[in-house]
Amino acid sequence: MPAAGLRERVLEEAGRCAYCGFCEAACPTLRHGPHRGYGPRGRVEIARRLLEGLSKPTGEAVASLFTCLLCGACRVKCPLGVDVPLVVRGARSLYLAGVLGGRVGARPRLRG
Amino acid sequence: MSALDQVLSLMAEYVERTGFPLPVPKGFQYRWAEPLGLPRRGRVYLYTGALYQLAPYVEALVEQLERVEERPGAGIVLRLARAVSRVVDLSKIAVRPDPARVEQVERVLRSVAGLLRAAGVEYAYLYEDDLYSGILLYDMGLDEAFERHARRVYARLRERGAEKVITVDPHTTRALRQVYPEYVPGFDLEVVSYLEVLDEALGAGRLRPSASLGLRAVIHDPCVYARFLGIVEQPRRLLRAAGVELAEPPRSRRMTYCCGGPAEAVLPALARRIAETRMGELAGVGDTVVTLCPICLVNLGRAARGRARVVDAAELLARAFGAG
Repeated sequence: MPAAGLRERVLEEAGRCAYCGFCEAACPTLRHGPHRGYGPRGRVEIARRLLEGLSKPTGEAVASLFTCLLCGACRVKCPLGVDVPLVVRGARSLYLAGVLGGRVGARPRLRG
Repeated sequence: MSALDQVLSLMAEYVERTGFPLPVPKGFQYRWAEPLGLPRRGRVYLYTGALYQLAPYVEALVEQLERVEERPGAGIVLRLARAVSRVVDLSKIAVRPDPARVEQVERVLRSVAGLLRAAGVEYAYLYEDDLYSGILLYDMGLDEAFERHARRVYARLRERGAEKVITVDPHTTRALRQVYPEYVPGFDLEVVSYLEVLDEALGAGRLRPSASLGLRAVIHDPCVYARFLGIVEQPRRLLRAAGVELAEPPRSRRMTYCCGGPAEAVLPALARRIAETRMGELAGVGDTVVTLCPICLVNLGRAARGRARVVDAAELLARAFGAG
């Protein structure tokens, strides 16, 4: 199982996002992906919805989380300093542990 | 189980069974050190975490994946998972690295070893106990497998009497400095990067250049050094002292741009595009690119295609500080 308190820590961090989108220009994967889930704001939103139980994992959600480089460029641009790599990595861990619902088939892909 | 899950499980299973995330020959991680006769016992150890040594194998595996990816039909991960599931014995998956790449990464490690000696640092080497840190498991969210592995690695380091380890790449440095303390009870090791050790020795006058390289190079900061560990100025001071005139790309230091490497296991085409973007940026500033991470070294090297020469900082430094 993931470390105790991981869910709370990830949720708290994701909950600080103001959805301003300043992070998006810094993300190396967003412009190559098929939708906004391939960028930091999308990934934080996906993680938050999964952790709050508002959504179940879908192939697109899982592909979004697993194509993140964890490079942290978004964190530098974020006016609130949201630790996006912590959110994404934590969401991966909780997903793989089955805490967010069942595993689904994911097909990471490029735009177009 | 989905295709992505199968790849992740495979990775975790390899680490569990062999200590490494993909098939590698026994002893591959300490072959570089054999000609050096480094001491086997001490309190300060050079711990490479085998990431430089793994890089040529990862490169070869990714190239195999790309060949599959170019065929029409199902997505890469699905195809790989299908190919893998047909192989009953996982050890039968052959990964053949480029011998020139193997030689390159081994040269980098011998350069680090020589530099530490030139700086008067006393250290021992772990040889067969120089185990992979497991950082990829952590990054992918395979926490359970990571935790088991990290505890084994730490136990081995303690058995060897380690009190301090000197690391050689950003990912292993981050694993031991920032992640192990959260997963390994009682973790108590001082973790320093060779760049920090050498920079300190340079400042204290214990490390002096014996030659000036007189070359111009553009520096590529690894994300993990620049944004997670704050190792930014140390390599610059060392390279300048070595007589390297440093050029900065448009995105550098904390604002550095990823080489794309971390995506290579999930979506190689994405990794390639990002490497292409970064290489274009770097090659626009200089024809020698200096990196500080094995993943950057391989990814940018592959994307260079004659536009620039991609070298590891350790190799340049070793030449200037008489540690070659």
